[in-house]
Amino acid sequence: MIKKKTDDKRQWFLYSANLRVKTFVIIGISALVIISIFVSGYFIRDIPTSFVNANQMPSLEHLFGTDWMGRDMFQRTIAGLGLSLMVGFIASAVSTCISIVLGLFSSFNKFADECVAGIIDLFGSIPHILLIIIVSIMFGGGVYGVIMGVGLTHWTPLARVLRSEVKEIKTKEYISLAENLGRSRFWIALKHIFPLIVSQIIVGVILMFPHAIMHEAAITFLGFGLPPHEPAIGVILSESMNYLSSGYWWLAFYPGMSLLIVVLLFDLIGENVEKLLNPETAQE
Amino acid sequence: MDKKILIGGAVVLVAIIAAAAMFMGGSTDTDPTHLTVAAHSNIKEPESGFDPLTGWGCGHQNYNPLVQSCLFKTDANGTIVPDLATDYSISEDGLTWTVNVRDDVKFSDNSTFDANDVAFTFNKAKETESDLDLTNLDKAVAKNATCVEFQLVEPRSTFIYDLRYLGIVPEEYDNSTYGQNPVGTGPYVLDHWDKGQQAIFKINDNYYGDKPYFTQVTLLFPDEATWLELAKSGQVDVVPVATSALNQTVDGYQFYEVSAGRAQGISLPYLEDTGAVSPAGSKIGNNVTADKAIREALNVGIDRQKMCDEIFSGHATPEFTSVDTRDYANPDAKVQDANVDEAKQILKDGGWEDTDGDGIVEKNGTKASFDLYYQPDYLDRQSLATVFAEQAKELGIEVKLVGADWDTIYANMYSSAAVMQQTSPDPYKSIYQQYHSKEADDFYMNPNLYNNSDSDKLMEEAMHSNDLSTANTLWAQSALVNGGGWGPAGDAPFAWLVNYDYNYFIKNGIDIGNQPDGLGNDVLINICEWTRTNSA
Repeated sequence: MIKKKTDDKRQWFLYSANLRVKTFVIIGISALVIISIFVSGYFIRDIPTSFVNANQMPSLEHLFGTDWMGRDMFQRTIAGLGLSLMVGFIASAVSTCISIVLGLFSSFNKFADECVAGIIDLFGSIPHILLIIIVSIMFGGGVYGVIMGVGLTHWTPLARVLRSEVKEIKTKEYISLAENLGRSRFWIALKHIFPLIVSQIIVGVILMFPHAIMHEAAITFLGFGLPPHEPAIGVILSESMNYLSSGYWWLAFYPGMSLLIVVLLFDLIGENVEKLLNPETAQE
Repeated sequence: MDKKILIGGAVVLVAIIAAAAMFMGGSTDTDPTHLTVAAHSNIKEPESGFDPLTGWGCGHQNYNPLVQSCLFKTDANGTIVPDLATDYSISEDGLTWTVNVRDDVKFSDNSTFDANDVAFTFNKAKETESDLDLTNLDKAVAKNATCVEFQLVEPRSTFIYDLRYLGIVPEEYDNSTYGQNPVGTGPYVLDHWDKGQQAIFKINDNYYGDKPYFTQVTLLFPDEATWLELAKSGQVDVVPVATSALNQTVDGYQFYEVSAGRAQGISLPYLEDTGAVSPAGSKIGNNVTADKAIREALNVGIDRQKMCDEIFSGHATPEFTSVDTRDYANPDAKVQDANVDEAKQILKDGGWEDTDGDGIVEKNGTKASFDLYYQPDYLDRQSLATVFAEQAKELGIEVKLVGADWDTIYANMYSSAAVMQQTSPDPYKSIYQQYHSKEADDFYMNPNLYNNSDSDKLMEEAMHSNDLSTANTLWAQSALVNGGGWGPAGDAPFAWLVNYDYNYFIKNGIDIGNQPDGLGNDVLINICEWTRTNSA
């Protein structure tokens, strides 16, 4: 028997580096891809129509093919992802603010804590998509409506995590010490509790991103929010449904694939950042 | 022995399944005299049923109501000829129209048709159907069983179109049940109606005209997005062609193009923004499009032929005045288009110049930028809007697209541009209602509140004229009068772009007879002449 000589410790990728460096590299590359999509999406404005080149297969000239107006699908996809990222970013920011406020508020007293738990349960009990649709219509549709719709509905998981974290911190001795010394609840929340939940917030925000993007795509796919000339990823996908029977598979395949990759990249970043921030794994 | 029973049982089972599959599985209707038609999105499934008094066949769009017939019909040459009527006369002062009707007609429920039914239909429609403007009809009176007299408020040459398109209902009309169970004198009766899917019409045995070849017509109301799939499935005989499928062919189908007189274009708000609002509270006026230089530059600078060739693959012709193909068109009111240099010169002469170098012209600090509303369910309008915005940008005018539903469009049409369409052969609709001055009333005709008193006067004269050719001349003149008028060479209140033909995939072997020109939205207009020649 010839045993293949392998070194389990030695990995194919950056094998001389330690896990920490590798994690950083993975985070860096993923972030770079996402940032470049976002930036180039911002610069793509009007994508020229060219009816002569309508419905063309993917080629070197048009990487993702062209749609029924002859617009380049690669540009549309990037612009759509850029929009998704923008929506995801603002929506995550809004969600995070709500979670932090509620999380810290829950530390004030038992009644506040019950209140927060109740609000979280209330919002959590309404089907997500339904709530997004209602909120975005309430804000008058359009990009603004979609952002608010996604932003005002995605804070529940993070708020729940923060609340339980806060609950645990509150049992610590230095908190009751500070209370006995006459510090205000607000001061305690800000100085003693907030710094301890920052790492949870960072991870929470990053993991909220893919959710927000998926829901942005879902709601624009359903036709709420954005009109069909806007290159949102959901709009592109719902439009492509009409052309599947004509055999124009590339209209759905590449944008869908790109959306998936972006979401996976966020997941990758989130997981690796968590590795770094979690004291149990940070030193490995 | 057991084995034999088992095998025997299996054989029987297979045979039963096969037989069932043959009878049920392949549910395709093989009867050659049955016809399945996918309705164009302009013929919406009527929410309140197949009732002419709530808009079926008349009103917003005019088409063959199938169940009902009208006093007049259009023949293959496009001439309006008697149908239920036998002849008509107009009094000297133009205020009284006398129409004689047939005496040998029975409704589908075997009751007898007479002049009372006609009078009832018109008097009732005047109250119930808002899209069909019968305000000028004072009343309709049955003189005797075969003679009905229409008394008008003022003379109107276009009244013949109202007589042409309103399907006659019996006097025993009950508005709560009629839509579901329509009774009429048309070639078909409604057999049953699956709301949201299809309506099946069977031949009317009481029909007075030549019996149609097709004994059953199934009307489907599919979304535009599914048209091509329907044709490819091969189960539908007549399917409209969506804009995105104009280059496609479908096996077993012929591509059929019918001229439409379907003008599509952009309405440009004519009034300045003075803070005024309509009765419904919509903003009125737009300071950019109210400037004549902008409207003129758009009309001159846009390349209409290019739109026809590219968006519509040649199944459209350039449209300038919205009635280019009608008898009352005015060729002098057209402009030479696709002239970017001249358009830029017009803007410059009008005081619009690009001072900040962003490619968009300004005048007194106002940027030449306006919103353009369109209904996104129609691919043709979406692509027209997109290409219009592209071409306008080359001229230095920024057009921002807004996709919206009709209610939103109507709420914004007085202050923003909108993609509009006009199909009616009736000059009362296509000219008078479209261009005659009016107070803002939130109705979609004259969406930009165009007004010109010279033009108004000619339109009124045309309306009051008793002679069709005099009327046509007057209509034509109103397009260009004293340098004004509603044509692009005049005040240019619209940028009409294309005349988009109606296109259908029609199954091989179906002969749709001779269709009149310019009425392509109503492909079933001559359904009684249709035949299937390759019936097996």
